[in-house]
Amino acid sequence: MGSRRDSASKPADRTLADVPLEEEVVVVRMEVAGEDIEPLLERGIVPGCKVCPVRHSPAGGPTVYRVDGHLIALRRETASCLCVRSALEAAGVLDAN
Amino acid sequence: MSNGAQSASIAPAPAVASSPGHPRVALVGPPNSGKSTLFNGLTGLRQKVANYPGVTVERRSGVVVEAVGSVEVVDLPGVHSLSPRSLDQKVTRDFLTGRLEGDRQPEAVILVLDGTRLKTHLMLADPVLGLGLPTLVVLTMADELKRRGGGVDVRLLSAELGVEVALVNARDGASLEPVRRFLRALHTGGEEIRACPVVSAADATTAENVHGRALPVIDLFAERRKRARTLGRSAAFQDPRPSDITHRIDSVVLHRLWGPLVFVATIAVVFEAIFTAAVPLMDGTEALVAASGEFVARTLPESWFRSLLIDGVWAGVGSVVVFLPQILILFAFIAILEDSGYMARAAVIADRLMHRVGLQGRSFLPLLSAYACAVPAVMAARAVEDERDRIATIFVTPFMTCSARLPVYALLIAAFIPAGPLIGPLGMRAAVLMGLYALGLLAAIGTAALLKGTLLKGRPHPFVMELPPYRMPSLRSIGTRLLDRTKVFLRRAGKIILTVAVVLWVLTQVPSGPSGEPPEIGDSALGRMGQVIEPAIEPLGFDWRIGIGLVTSLAAREVIVGTLGTIYGVESEDDQSFELQAALQQDLDLGSAVAMLIFFVFALQCMSTVAVMRRETGGWMWPALQFTYMLVLAYAGAWVANALL
Ligand SMILES: Nc1nc2c(ncn2[C@@H]2O[C@H](COP(=O)(O)OP(=O)(O)OP(=O)(O)O)[C@@H](O)[C@H]2O)c(=O)[nH]1
Ligand SMILES: [Mg+2]
Repeated sequence: MGSRRDSASKPADRTLADVPLEEEVVVVRMEVAGEDIEPLLERGIVPGCKVCPVRHSPAGGPTVYRVDGHLIALRRETASCLCVRSALEAAGVLDAN
Repeated sequence: MSNGAQSASIAPAPAVASSPGHPRVALVGPPNSGKSTLFNGLTGLRQKVANYPGVTVERRSGVVVEAVGSVEVVDLPGVHSLSPRSLDQKVTRDFLTGRLEGDRQPEAVILVLDGTRLKTHLMLADPVLGLGLPTLVVLTMADELKRRGGGVDVRLLSAELGVEVALVNARDGASLEPVRRFLRALHTGGEEIRACPVVSAADATTAENVHGRALPVIDLFAERRKRARTLGRSAAFQDPRPSDITHRIDSVVLHRLWGPLVFVATIAVVFEAIFTAAVPLMDGTEALVAASGEFVARTLPESWFRSLLIDGVWAGVGSVVVFLPQILILFAFIAILEDSGYMARAAVIADRLMHRVGLQGRSFLPLLSAYACAVPAVMAARAVEDERDRIATIFVTPFMTCSARLPVYALLIAAFIPAGPLIGPLGMRAAVLMGLYALGLLAAIGTAALLKGTLLKGRPHPFVMELPPYRMPSLRSIGTRLLDRTKVFLRRAGKIILTVAVVLWVLTQVPSGPSGEPPEIGDSALGRMGQVIEPAIEPLGFDWRIGIGLVTSLAAREVIVGTLGTIYGVESEDDQSFELQAALQQDLDLGSAVAMLIFFVFALQCMSTVAVMRRETGGWMWPALQFTYMLVLAYAGAWVANALL
């Protein structure tokens, strides 16, 4: 949480909202304010988890993501608060299991 | 349970029939993990089950009788953790920790986890085991896990957690034997009920204090997830393949173009079916009602009692019962949508709109369930996390077209709208019906926008919606739902409508003439009452009969159909049978018929809804405001319709 303190030093970081369909990424940081983060955490979206966008819904609605083999829909604005790195790249950096 | 005046607004479920003697077992688990299914399998009760998260919002008890003794099993709302953010989650937390006044902590816990989603669902294991109660872990969806090529070693997991673990198919009663064994052990003290040694009480307190000091939430959950994965790995948990069929259905249902199109087409088919497919069934019911009425008329001698039965009861109750087939078609459709998993997708599709009017996408699920009945829908709003959003959701719920409006709509549409086709297979009548449903939805959305922009302003909330895999709705579950619905419908007809019919009939018989003959209906007590109301409703194009109907329909909407049945029944010359539609065509023209339809779209004519509103909002303010607002809208809308047409 908090500021995007190291966004300058790591320009490679993208947010989940920028990830194209079917590309698997790893969440590295969550910049969701206050209590709003809990619904995500409880459902297994925590730093280190793998997420893969599978489908956009009609008319710019939420996008459906696969997290741990099941589907969760998030709005773009929520997805853009999750900083991610591609799964391959992250494998070296993080223990992404 | 009598502490209904409890602070916030959560009144404990009245359904709890607790017998203090039996040990109590709580069913705890994440939403949609199969708790209610398991509960039904164990107790033989029919708690609502549907394939989307957040179905159960209050506790419900049932007794399981085993040879060694009985056990009280308690179904609870689903939770992901023991730190509640919504009222339904609070019910679960309070029950588990024995916080409710005059209530005791359960003696044991059954932790229900979806066996196909262990990697996340095991995150709940530590907080629940940390309660220190004897626990059985039940992994459901054994059938799906196997079919999709996953697996888990129950014995390894049991060793890891230090408690018994069972893998079951909650839909299959035969596979519940390990659960029953656990229940028996509560009496016999078998080894299944060892308390849980693994997790220390300290972990449990951390779980409780996520909002507070100790560990930042992110770290707490990251920690829990890591532990869940470790557990999964040591139990040789093998992820199942993603559901193929789900992928395929979603690619249509959530498609930019096909999605909305398929949805509208499905709705059109259902409404068309309400008017066409229901016809033979309705004719059958109608014939049955008419034949039985004629039989009674023939067997009984001419007397006031015969008149009461035929003109009062048969005409009143009979004219409502005829609509049962149409209501059942609607319910079959709702059951298929709910049990298949489509509802969660509908919430996703609706999210943009909901977001724009300031509500959470989550609010869409209670609103959808209001198509059946507003009462459970108002309760279902407990799952909405933000208090203002919850109130706003409750406030607009009665605008959604509940099934009690259907008889009124169907009657008026059949009487005033020609049956011809409109576009392709879609008939004019079905189209008008769709229009009325759409109007209700628009009113709900507009009102929500108004409320969220004024009285209930608040910040927007994120939308996090889990989409369960599609599941085949079982014929049995749809069958029992329809059966239950039939019972509810007939019970209402038997109670409210019968009472109203008898009272109305009596009012049409007094004051009797000099030689004891009943008065002309216009001069009867009822007629006079009607004439008092008449000036108020004349601008809408209604006469006193409709006025009486509007008054009685305050109890419940469909009562107006029974009321008109009784009034016209008394009025009709021959006491054989009469045509309610034909009688209505005499009294209303197209303008006033449409006015009446509009009135029913908007008005809050349902005492049960008002009562549940009061309970869920903790006072009279919201129900009073809502009643007035809806009445004003209904009157104005009807006036405009009558003036224009
Ligand atoms: N195939 C299969 N489906 C199951 C099983 N258990 C439950 N279901 C289905 O899973 C869905 C959810 O079941 P519920 O019993 O309503 O779940 P719940 O835990 O009570 O959910 P909430 O009340 O929302 O917390 C329903 O569609 C059930 O039919 C199972 O063992 N196998
Ligand atoms: Mg349930």
